[in-house]
Amino acid sequence: MSAATEGATRVYRRPMPSGWWTRRAHYFWYIVREFTALPMAVWLLWFLVEIQRAQNGPKGYYPHSSTGFVIFSVIVLLFALYHSVTFLSLAGVILHFRVLDRPIPSRLIVLSQFGLWLVASAVVAFVLVYFGR
Amino acid sequence: MFAQGGVIAAVLIPVHVLVQGILGPLGVPVVDRHYDTWISILGNPIVKLYLLVLIAFPFFHFAHRLRYLLVDLGVPAAKSVPAQVIFYGGAVAVTLFTIWLLLTTAPLSLG
Repeated sequence: MSAATEGATRVYRRPMPSGWWTRRAHYFWYIVREFTALPMAVWLLWFLVEIQRAQNGPKGYYPHSSTGFVIFSVIVLLFALYHSVTFLSLAGVILHFRVLDRPIPSRLIVLSQFGLWLVASAVVAFVLVYFGR
Repeated sequence: MFAQGGVIAAVLIPVHVLVQGILGPLGVPVVDRHYDTWISILGNPIVKLYLLVLIAFPFFHFAHRLRYLLVDLGVPAAKSVPAQVIFYGGAVAVTLFTIWLLLTTAPLSLG
């Protein structure tokens, strides 16, 4: 291929309107799923601030308690739950196991992931409250 | 790291947000509401390791998702090497900061 022909070759890029994700509910919820990362990241940064405040000593330490923070956490919780449901539901597609040469149904794999989520949440909640007394 | 971070975020973040972000400020006695209980549990090496995993892994997941969110929204520059350095470098920076914070906030204690 000559240099001139090579230079003339162009990759066709199909134009994508900027608001494509607002055209169908499925597209919209896909973008929401990807967006869940941002509020969760911001909440974890707050969590780091909470850890850092412990360096201030007993007189300088104060946890977040404002109404605004609670509202922010409620919003983050909704995004976090959406991430959990969508991510754990994918386990049935991604994970494949065989027992006695028979494939485990994907529904069972998804159920096990949700079971793991429930147990882990109960354990973490117990520890956070038990050691807070 | 993307998949592990996604699983850890899915399994562990909602309960922390619910308990420490909502129930605690509303009056439930959660471990971070008082300095003595918070500093005591932060000194535990297993807790330090747990918090590092809870924070570091999801940030690599978040970095990847947010970079491709920008690509999906029509920002092709998010595919570039500088963008990768910014997003994944940000996750590395958060990880290093978390390690430093956990090592300097409370002395190690098994009690």
